[in-house]
Amino acid sequence: MVEDRNNSSEFSDDTIRRFLLGELSESEQPLFEQQLFTVAGFGARVRMAEIDLADDYAFERLNAGDLALFERRFLVTSKRQQMVKASTALRERFSSNRSAAAWSEKSIFAKRLRYLPGFDRPVWRIAFGVLILLVLFGTVLLVVKKPRLAQQITNKIIPRRPAPRSSPQEVHQPANTSNPEHQTTPAPMPLHDSANPLSESVVLFPSSPDLGKVPTLTLPKGENKLVRLRLTVINQTVPYRAEVLTIDGQLVFSVDWPGGPPFNVDVPASLLKGGEYQIQLSDARGGSKKEVASYYFRVR
Amino acid sequence: MSAAKTLHILKQEEFDRLLNWLDPEPEQAGLTYEKIRWRLVAILASRGCTCPEELADETIDRVARRVIDIQDSYVGDQATYFLGVMNNVHHEYLKRPMMPRPPEPDDDVETKERTYLCLEKCLDRLSPNSRQMIEQYYAEDGRAKIDLRKRIAAELGIGLSTLRLRALRIRDKLQTCIDQCLVSEARL
Repeated sequence: MVEDRNNSSEFSDDTIRRFLLGELSESEQPLFEQQLFTVAGFGARVRMAEIDLADDYAFERLNAGDLALFERRFLVTSKRQQMVKASTALRERFSSNRSAAAWSEKSIFAKRLRYLPGFDRPVWRIAFGVLILLVLFGTVLLVVKKPRLAQQITNKIIPRRPAPRSSPQEVHQPANTSNPEHQTTPAPMPLHDSANPLSESVVLFPSSPDLGKVPTLTLPKGENKLVRLRLTVINQTVPYRAEVLTIDGQLVFSVDWPGGPPFNVDVPASLLKGGEYQIQLSDARGGSKKEVASYYFRVR
Repeated sequence: MSAAKTLHILKQEEFDRLLNWLDPEPEQAGLTYEKIRWRLVAILASRGCTCPEELADETIDRVARRVIDIQDSYVGDQATYFLGVMNNVHHEYLKRPMMPRPPEPDDDVETKERTYLCLEKCLDRLSPNSRQMIEQYYAEDGRAKIDLRKRIAAELGIGLSTLRLRALRIRDKLQTCIDQCLVSEARL
């Protein structure tokens, strides 16, 4: 239907568009029609403009004036109506797919990769595949044979986060003082297996001070050892403050969490001694410090 | 059936004679016929006719009936003869009482579904490069569209107008394929 020959018409794309919308003047219209029948390739240009206009309509790119003309003057044939349907289908098929640009980027990358020197040759592709398999096989073998080494590598790549989310505040409480002075220490450093000070861990549930059933942990030996108390908290989205107290209410250690688990209290073993302790968990929103749960444990 | 079509029903031999007059090679004659009809429809629509396809068909019918008289003596491009006859048909159309505009096309779900199915089929028939071009050309809209098209044009080492022309040519093929697909689907 459309010629592939180059056109020699003097009419601009804008004039072609005005023809399709029925906007040509009385003097322009006869000349345009004559050229449409006589100038080679002009029909192809008009056909392209026809498709472009249908696309613009389907993609809602027409202004109000053109839109009215389009519906009154252009959309009067079944072929053009079908053209608009196809444009709409194309829009829904591709335009909503916003990943198309990303797909394009990927295709460009893949194309560039293909054009790397020699990469288009099958032998290099096979060699590259074998290399990948060897690396994978070696990694699996390493993990199976040397789990300790693998763990060390993993720890170096992904360092463990310090257990408390915020700076824990350690309290050095003289045993014979009723008004303890609150002291702070820097946040613990990330834990490494090579010098892991964490030696005891216990999960605590909110409970009443029935000391006969509370969990018991053994105090580890060593100056830098930590005892981890893992609190179970129902609402894990609000900020909390936990205070470790002796059973008679003397503050030993405290920690704040801005929000979110894990709610671990890593208490330096040096602050604990044999006896019963309690942890008071309070809601730290707006400085209310409303107590929400109590936990009890025993140290021996 | 419209008033135009009730006037005369074209006989097969008249139609065959018309095609032969356009071009002795049947396939080429068919293509020429389609081009002429498309131009007639485009012009009549541009002139504000509400039923340009019917008027174009009436023009062709009249030319077909005249071919037997003019084929031996006519000199020049046959296509321009249609333009003259179309002017007469259009002139008569303007004298007729205004016909109501034909009903809007049905936008039922089934038609849409068929169009989408045909689009998918026709996309599959495109060459990988053509398909990629269409996907990219229609991928974005607004400012993102302009940026994306600039990027594609730069990647291909062509100007934006050439990119548009290439994309529209593929789109034209796609449209022809969809039209044919819909016709064959309707026959099933």
